Amino acid sequence: MNPFRLLGIDNLSKEYAYTDDPVLGHTSAKRASEKWVKTTCGYCSVGCGMEVGVRDNKAVAVRGWEGHPVSFGKLCPKGLSEHHTLSASNRAQYPLLRKNGKLERVSWAEAIAALVENFGRSQAQYGRQALGVISTGQLLTEEFYALGKLVQLGFGTSNYDGNTTLCMASAVSGYKLTFGSDGPPGNYEDLRHADLVLLIGANIADNHPILVQHLGANAHKYLVVVDPRVTKTAMLADLHLPIRPRGDIALLNAMAHVILRDGLADESYIAAHTNGIEALRAHLAAYRPETVAPIAGLRVEQIVDLAHRYAKSKAAFIAWTMGVNHSTQGAETVNVINNLALLTGQIGRRGAAPFSITGQCNAMGSRETSFTSGLPGYRKFENAEDREELAKIWKVDASRVPAKRGYAYPDIINAAVNGEIKSLWIIATNPVVSYPNQAQLRAAFANLDFLVVQDGYHPNPTSELADLVLPAAIWGEKEGVYTNSERRVGKANPIVTPPGEAKPDFDIFLAIAETLGCREELFPNWTGPADAFAEIKTVTKGRLCDYSGMTYEAIETHGGLQWPFPEGANPTEPSRLYADGVFPTKSGKANLIPVTWEPFPDQPGKGFPFILNTGRTVEHWHTRTKTAQVALLERMSPNAWLEMNPEDARRLGLKSHENVSLVSRRGQVHNVELRLTEIIAPGQLFMPFHFVETNVNEVTQDAFDPISREPNYKQCAVRVERSSNPHS
Amino acid sequence: MQAVELPLLGRPDLLTIAPASARVALTPSRLPEAGEQYRFHFDVEKCIGCKCCVVACNEQNGNPAEINWRRVGEIEGGVFPLAQRWHLSMGCNHCVEPSCMLGCPVEAYSKDALTGIVDHNPDQCIGCQYCTWNCSYGVPQFNEARGVVGKCDMCHSRLTAGAQPACVNACPSGAIAIEIVNVAAWRLAPENGNAPGLPSVMDSLSTTRITMPEKATELFNAISRVDNERVQPEHAHASLVFLLVLIQMAAGAMGAIAIAGSSAAWLAAGIAIVALAAAPMHLGRPIHAHRAWRGWKTSWLSREVIAFGLFAKAAIAAAWFGTPITAAAACVAGLFGIYCSARIYTVPARPAWNSWLTLADFYLTAFTLGPALLLAVGLIQTPLPVLVALIAQFVLTVYRRHAFEDSDIAERRSTARLLDHQLRHGFILRLTLLVAALIALPNAPVLAFVFALASELEGRALFFQSVVGKSAASAFLTPGGKAA
Repeated sequence: MNPFRLLGIDNLSKEYAYTDDPVLGHTSAKRASEKWVKTTCGYCSVGCGMEVGVRDNKAVAVRGWEGHPVSFGKLCPKGLSEHHTLSASNRAQYPLLRKNGKLERVSWAEAIAALVENFGRSQAQYGRQALGVISTGQLLTEEFYALGKLVQLGFGTSNYDGNTTLCMASAVSGYKLTFGSDGPPGNYEDLRHADLVLLIGANIADNHPILVQHLGANAHKYLVVVDPRVTKTAMLADLHLPIRPRGDIALLNAMAHVILRDGLADESYIAAHTNGIEALRAHLAAYRPETVAPIAGLRVEQIVDLAHRYAKSKAAFIAWTMGVNHSTQGAETVNVINNLALLTGQIGRRGAAPFSITGQCNAMGSRETSFTSGLPGYRKFENAEDREELAKIWKVDASRVPAKRGYAYPDIINAAVNGEIKSLWIIATNPVVSYPNQAQLRAAFANLDFLVVQDGYHPNPTSELADLVLPAAIWGEKEGVYTNSERRVGKANPIVTPPGEAKPDFDIFLAIAETLGCREELFPNWTGPADAFAEIKTVTKGRLCDYSGMTYEAIETHGGLQWPFPEGANPTEPSRLYADGVFPTKSGKANLIPVTWEPFPDQPGKGFPFILNTGRTVEHWHTRTKTAQVALLERMSPNAWLEMNPEDARRLGLKSHENVSLVSRRGQVHNVELRLTEIIAPGQLFMPFHFVETNVNEVTQDAFDPISREPNYKQCAVRVERSSNPHS
Repeated sequence: MQAVELPLLGRPDLLTIAPASARVALTPSRLPEAGEQYRFHFDVEKCIGCKCCVVACNEQNGNPAEINWRRVGEIEGGVFPLAQRWHLSMGCNHCVEPSCMLGCPVEAYSKDALTGIVDHNPDQCIGCQYCTWNCSYGVPQFNEARGVVGKCDMCHSRLTAGAQPACVNACPSGAIAIEIVNVAAWRLAPENGNAPGLPSVMDSLSTTRITMPEKATELFNAISRVDNERVQPEHAHASLVFLLVLIQMAAGAMGAIAIAGSSAAWLAAGIAIVALAAAPMHLGRPIHAHRAWRGWKTSWLSREVIAFGLFAKAAIAAAWFGTPITAAAACVAGLFGIYCSARIYTVPARPAWNSWLTLADFYLTAFTLGPALLLAVGLIQTPLPVLVALIAQFVLTVYRRHAFEDSDIAERRSTARLLDHQLRHGFILRLTLLVAALIALPNAPVLAFVFALASELEGRALFFQSVVGKSAASAFLTPGGKAA
């Protein structure tokens, strides 16, 4: 110990001094700032506005952006401490290339040459599609756009997808099937005006806490939360319906059944704006509340009452997140939600919409421009006109624009397992924590010739396995835009310079294009994100996700602009889709889609009696790459836990805080702290997925939605045992 | 006194999206008048458990992650699916009768005359951590690196400058507010200071007003904290163990010397001086130990310092004069000092200490080790007093553990559980050493003394390790990492 401290002389008075900051008022002197930079938060898709205080090129303070239309000056605990993620000790600073089994520092030139050479070798030997690319929802829209062109037109592989497939793909597919296009119809303002808010599979109090204030501002709403677990959000509800896992389709179908049966449907809306009512009506006949009640684990009158409330509300709003998306029937569940909205005309009005609350800060931006599950500007691979339009803008031959989507994320992994994909480029995502059934991921990695990980942090569990690590700048070190859940495009600004030799992903992509020899063709005269933004405006002009009227300045001035934003649009008018009842389908009508309820795969049974559910906690972000570096967040949520009902624990002779193991048909995870609680139903378990140390994805199933390719994270069968080695 | 208008405090809540009915100011529009003070209001129903307040507080005060002047606890009850779970965000309660302040030996605490805010001055603090034992809510926290305690001051300087405290400002649902309370009225009816998961408002007349959800009233008794099963042993405080046992032995020895008419008071004096020399070692700021008498009007710690100071001086005098009467006088000072020591620990916030057993334990240490020492060095011949004291200590030690096991106070039951589990080996050692001393007593008085001393040292270490302080409910996980 410091000798001054031993004696008791105050050696840290400076550390704990206060100051009267002109902006913050009386506060810790550590936060005294020389300038403030307005930006958009880089964690989730709520899209909060924040200001970051800077002193000596160091981000020292964060505060909410007063009057911001999304966050109204508030931030969640992650946002309030986001500046600490920039100065983390494990930021990736230098390109590293594996030589003789060890990652060694190399120059950028050598790193990029190695990337181009190794990707080229795989593609020359095994075909263009032998290169797989998995990106993220964390980049800026300009970066997604540049990366899409680089991968699809430069490298010429369509085996390119984002981690958004682990997250939002079901919403995307569901919207496309019902409405003819992706795009969440509602907005946050609807939460403030709806008479009925139905949150299904959405624990916003933990996962999107700043959205809760929109609900809080709605004094007249009736809030229904459908969730198998008594979440923090369930505690806010006027009515919590503890649905059985995967009972959602049955419940929603039964609601639609009741609405049609009891004459509550908006027949004129149905006639004018939808296709397929007769097929749907016939299909729904089987979904009597009496039949559905045991499947959903609810009472008949609860189902009937909810259907009546929904249909009779002046404005009813349904929002969902991963409880719906993380399912082998995710896209179909979205269809069923959309059915309800269409049957009752609860769409396109203030307070009335089906609405997906997105995950990552820019999952939406990737959907609009990334060239993964669709062509930029919500265009379709299958549509020749769409391909030609783009080819014309890009001045390339239309034959270079792929006519069908390449492999989705899980199919890229499976293709690596079976040897089709030999090189893999992973950008700003961490599958070693997040991918379901880790055994399969390990098999894929073992088969690769070359793995590139481009990330802001190294080492992280995935970058440790890389043959090449490219150090990237992160939120706060680069410029561009993010789109939030309500289609609001927000500006992210550079606050400090990246550490070491780390570069913005945008610059990395252009440098790779340079070496690859396609920079001038694909990115003519591009120097920065503004060039990409200008092209995005052209590419989206006249599309649903129309950026053409936006400028960086206007975005920043108004705390974000919602698309569609053609020239002359009103920057402060809340925007919602389909107010006119015209949908981007061939007929201009939305599709009512009959969906059959099915039990989830990997049902509990002999040897695996529990249903395991996975999710998040408010302190952490995804795979904890960032939040584990924020000491306070880590202290408040230092390890994973497993929630179990006390009744089950009594039978198994287990106590709270004991270390237990989870075993599934695929794998096991040990030394998880047991939490006995009545917030979880008997027979069910819950565990957060943030922790690589006790990775729940060792046991989750790699079963995927056949439509969206999204994994079924939310249910799998496991058993629980006392860990044999409790202290390791 | 004229009510003073604070221009900025009166502004409507910055939550501009809130409907007019919900748009309430989160800070008062005026300063308190005579008989009033500021206090926190916490609305359990509004809190969504996001912990923004904790982050904002740490940022505001530049505290490291392991120090949290505001914390969020969790309480839960009912049966699935009708389970209820709520969060309690607690800073300092700025009590009417702040036990931290009353116990402080150096007047580092003050209750602001205008606002009622309980302030702590780190420049005055000597890091004795007595306040951390005295507060039923666990509010003051010791900053190991800095050597002083710190705590929530309601962002005093922000508040009086017209700015919201950090926690109030950060809360996205407006669950935390500052309001004015009439102290006399609160004293008569402080029920709204109680909530499941919190110690009684009466411990120190906490001022924080808590609004529980309506549905909580019917379930009040079924709601409990989620951290019940997480009980960790505390530090052993080696220097305090050493100080207490040795000074008690010195007082006991002085008494035995007086009764035996011996002139060996130097022996007791020497032990007392060694013991007192160890005392400042447990302070965060030993260099300022000399201030420790200042709080004598209210602090038993100050009184202990004064009493043992007197004892040391009297013991030196007794050694100088070598007369039984001076030894007896010194012994009286010593015994008074032991009383003061015991009173330090008998505080409501520490139920296992807050018992006559603490007083009995401390005196029995004196009555065991004093005569045992004299017997060992051959100054007295009869083992009888030692025999009686050893048996009494054994009986009391076993009784204490049994009484706590069946106690209706949860913290005492936790103490018994610690003695049965994590501290089991120490507890067995403590009793075994007592028995060993008893066996050795008739034929090997030196050995008996060694065993008895070792037993008392272990017993005192267990005293510190096994105490479970009252606290506000915390979260389920162990802050900073998994429980061992």
